[in-house]
Amino acid sequence: MSRVFQSFCLEAGAELLKAFRAPEFIIPTLGMPVAFYSLFAIMIPGSNNNAAYLLATYGIFAVMGPAIFGFGISVANERDRGWLDLKRAAPSRGVNYIGAKVCSTLLFSSMSLAIIYLVAGFAANVAMPTATWTMLLFVHVLATFPFILLGLCIGFLCNGNAAVAISNVFFLGFSALGGLWIPVMVFPQGMQTFAHFLPTFHLSEIALAVSGAPGQRDVSYHLIVVAIMTLILLAATMLAWSKQRSK
Amino acid sequence: MSQVTSRLLAKDLKKSYGKVNAINGIDLHIDQAGVFAILGQNGAGKTSFIRCALGLESVTSGSLETMGNKPGSLSAKQQTGVILQDSDLPDSLTIKEQIQLFASYYPNPLSVDDTIAMCELHSFADKGYKKLSGGQKRRAQFALAIVGDPQLIFLDEPTTGLDIDARRRLWSIIREFANKGKTIVLTTHYLEEADNLADRIMVMNAGKIVADSTPEDIHKLVKGSVVRCQTQLSIAQLQSLSGGGSVTVSGRFSEIHTEQVNNTLAQLLSLDPDLQDLTVSQPKLEDIFGQLSQTGGGA
Repeated sequence: MSRVFQSFCLEAGAELLKAFRAPEFIIPTLGMPVAFYSLFAIMIPGSNNNAAYLLATYGIFAVMGPAIFGFGISVANERDRGWLDLKRAAPSRGVNYIGAKVCSTLLFSSMSLAIIYLVAGFAANVAMPTATWTMLLFVHVLATFPFILLGLCIGFLCNGNAAVAISNVFFLGFSALGGLWIPVMVFPQGMQTFAHFLPTFHLSEIALAVSGAPGQRDVSYHLIVVAIMTLILLAATMLAWSKQRSK
Repeated sequence: MSQVTSRLLAKDLKKSYGKVNAINGIDLHIDQAGVFAILGQNGAGKTSFIRCALGLESVTSGSLETMGNKPGSLSAKQQTGVILQDSDLPDSLTIKEQIQLFASYYPNPLSVDDTIAMCELHSFADKGYKKLSGGQKRRAQFALAIVGDPQLIFLDEPTTGLDIDARRRLWSIIREFANKGKTIVLTTHYLEEADNLADRIMVMNAGKIVADSTPEDIHKLVKGSVVRCQTQLSIAQLQSLSGGGSVTVSGRFSEIHTEQVNNTLAQLLSLDPDLQDLTVSQPKLEDIFGQLSQTGGGA
């Protein structure tokens, strides 16, 4: 048992080393959310009133990058170069491979969140009770998981080049259309309706409700929709997994 | 040893992809240490066979066992190592980090330091994979193949694309590992490689093993020379010069496989003084396949 755990630790360590040694991964995933948040919540005159509101939505944006890129692009590349086949031929455990990537992704999501929370607390003067900060953190960290599944689907189904393009389409599309950058209520009616089909919209509504943003929100409705979307992504991931194994 | 089991056993093994038959009925039994070369051209079915033996692909029909287990089972994998064709390790991890990780997959691995020494990796063990030369990369891959101390090692075209120095260096490392009682199954399309390295050569063509013998016996199949030229002579005339060898015509060129090259040349020049572009060479792999398909395999 301890040998399996030791192997898992080495696997997770390898994932972290790979991520930390890839500036093309670190800079956008850690830098972009805080840069956008600083711009829209601090630098634009009068934006400071929205700092707490935007913290809820930019927190979702911050966890999406590590999950979608960390899984989508890295799994697709590792499949392309035969690394995954080599691991499958060796007595390594698939569960450890995925688990190690989940650990690495959660660490990067947490780092990305910590940076935004620090900027919100100290530079944008967002003040909330500790319990609210904690709940918000909980929602943001949990929000990583549907995007991990999305990233895995992309990684199993696409080659390396396609994975970069498709990950970006989902990352930017989900962010913009789900209301993570600009609130959905300023969108035209058609786009507001469309947002209901995106996990980012429902996750940000949950985060907004938790952070006590003004407005009425039916949290249980959003939770159910997120749960259903996550289950659909899980089923798609399992299909994609078996498809790439039985080629 | 309580019980002698086969290290690799195939019975009427077939593998097809849609309508394409990659493996067309292979029977193979390896139960001892040594280097076993599967020699064949691209598309002969070598890689399909290796991938089936590793459990990466399912078998269409027939049976296949590695180390007495189903390919792809945990027990089989724990006793098997591999270099896959067209496989690369992660660029940013150092060689030592990769060996440590792979060692952790196996129940009784070699020490990381011993593996580095055996594969002659000291000078670049702390470098990232991306910075290595082709030969160094292949030795690093070999290190991952052996670090679990497996009894059975598959090497799928391990020296393709390497220069002759890098190739010879890898050969000596492979040979040394085989001398420790390991079974190494390697695929190659270099006759020279199979010749230098293998205790037994299996020649594979169109998804079948068409010859299975020692390098010496395989060599008997390829003795003689190939005379190639542009000539006006008919195939029947050329046949009479070949001393029983085969004659093939491809495009404007005729090729005569002969064991009495001096005789053949003398007669050829006297019958057709105007022949052009005459060359004499050693038989190539294609020539062996030509001969074997005529004789129906064997050896």
